[in-house]
Amino acid sequence: MEQRMIIQAQNLSKTFRVKEKRKGLRGSLRSIVKPSYKEIKAVEDISFHIAEGEIIAFIGPNGAGKSTTIKMLTGILYPSGGEAMVDDINPCKKRKQLAYKIGTVFGQKEQLWTHLTPYDNFKFFGAVYDIAEKEVEARIEELKSTFELSEFINTPVRNLSLGQRIRCEIVASLIHKPKILFLDEPTIGLDPVVKENIRTLIKKMNKDYGMTVFLTSHDVGDIEKLCKRIIIVNHGKIVLDDSMEKVKYHYLDKKIIEIKMKEEMALPRIEGVTVLKSKGVNLKIEVDTKIISIQEVLKWLDTDNLMDITISNVPLESIITQIYKERS
Amino acid sequence: MLLILKVTFNWKWRYGQNRGNMRKYLFIYKTTLMETLQYLINIFLGFISFFLIIFVFLNLWQYIYSDSSNLIDGYSMSQMVWYVILTEIMWFGNRNAMLTNQISNDIKSGSIAYGLNKPYNYLYYTIAKHFGDVTIKLFLYLFVGIIMGLIFAGRLPNFQFRNLPFIAITFLLGLFVNALIRIAISISSFWIEDAKPIHWMYDKLILVIGTLFPVEMFPIWLQPFIKCSPIFVITYGPAKLIIDFSMEMFLSVVFAQVIYIVIVVSILTVLYQKGVKRLNVNGG
Repeated sequence: MEQRMIIQAQNLSKTFRVKEKRKGLRGSLRSIVKPSYKEIKAVEDISFHIAEGEIIAFIGPNGAGKSTTIKMLTGILYPSGGEAMVDDINPCKKRKQLAYKIGTVFGQKEQLWTHLTPYDNFKFFGAVYDIAEKEVEARIEELKSTFELSEFINTPVRNLSLGQRIRCEIVASLIHKPKILFLDEPTIGLDPVVKENIRTLIKKMNKDYGMTVFLTSHDVGDIEKLCKRIIIVNHGKIVLDDSMEKVKYHYLDKKIIEIKMKEEMALPRIEGVTVLKSKGVNLKIEVDTKIISIQEVLKWLDTDNLMDITISNVPLESIITQIYKERS
Repeated sequence: MLLILKVTFNWKWRYGQNRGNMRKYLFIYKTTLMETLQYLINIFLGFISFFLIIFVFLNLWQYIYSDSSNLIDGYSMSQMVWYVILTEIMWFGNRNAMLTNQISNDIKSGSIAYGLNKPYNYLYYTIAKHFGDVTIKLFLYLFVGIIMGLIFAGRLPNFQFRNLPFIAITFLLGLFVNALIRIAISISSFWIEDAKPIHWMYDKLILVIGTLFPVEMFPIWLQPFIKCSPIFVITYGPAKLIIDFSMEMFLSVVFAQVIYIVIVVSILTVLYQKGVKRLNVNGG
């Protein structure tokens, strides 16, 4: 069966016109008489499709155009070119209609009323999304147990910890059972335990309700643990759109070998081997298996001198950094 | 018959939908009201300047009216003091930093975006929120103001309770027009760097010309201009009706208020629709 494409972006572009200030007092005066503008292409000709029920990571360095894309998909910004369709709705034409179908969490912005309790907040969002009183109660009850909120559901939001607040933010955006959830850096500033907790919950929502998740994050853990597909943008353009497995596989021809030796030993220069770190008896090297096999490399090492050896894949974080560098 | 059925059905459907919409904005109103209860102290701090102005003007008028049975421009001393108190209530009771600062800041910082992707109309939302913010404040000012009036100026000679519903209508519409104008000024932040100077000018215009002295005290040639300005519909009209009610005056105030609402709402709608299209959100 063919999967339905729930998000479609076709040649999406966004250009901002920013006023440019000239240098110094004279420049400032001149700017008053004759202002000059600079065009910034935040997003340039981006196209992609996302199937229903997918969890997708949309990542890139700061200023790459991630949030601008999210804002165009949620109807906040009008694209300068191209078209987006989200659940068969054009976001900038029918923003209000779309609002019922999507949930958004912006990790760096609060949407909750800080002086009120999470419970009052959820009731408020229920009313905003035209959900009947009884249904809201049932939904709050359900999400309360899934997200373990009972301890602080009646504490004003301003007194909650960041982790508790983010959990409430996510619940608030789920009250109306959205089909698609847009998460813009949801785990920013959270400790590892809370991060893990949030990831588990997002995964559960995706599994139990078939909710499509569109995630941007700088946290590699988020991406690795949640997403099967990854889209990387840089300078407003897509530089990579592939499955997580393939991304890793593509870079799997590189291995990291960490060696601990009994006595210090110098490794000769070998093609395809890069020394990452060499300190006393500890050595860390990267091996490009396309040039030289692991077996070959091990031959160079004196096995009697070995204390410990670990061979691992290149971490996703380095892969992504490399992609940023390579393709920009 | 079929047609009638269809029309009724359509109407019902629409009515139902509107009721759903109304519930949403009532809920926003209620939620804001709940929130203001958290910081009542701030409201009491605002009373300081209110007391100060009324104290200064009470003394001024007592000095000017050497004989309290005198009339100045048709106002007795008691009416004059009541005029100041009532307009100050409308002015102070309806002040809200959300209208003057927050909307502009939201536009400048791009936070307005988070109000745009919710299924409500941002402008209705703002109005519901504004009235939620000021309801308690207004009641407190009304309560304190009326007590002060009764103590310092005595009962109003011409006031009759049966006129109260009419007065209440103009009073509420006046608050509404004021809120709309404030929002329109703030929405201009889509184009201009800073809307504060415009708010400041508007603020002083109403405060100086609209609250401290009745329109009749200004030069004859200036009076028609003032009567066309928002002052007539926001402060002077409703206050004048409390002091000296006449059906004729009531109709002309309500008429002017409706015209103001139509004009400001039209301007607001156009500004808002154009503004949202040019929204630049930072931090993308």
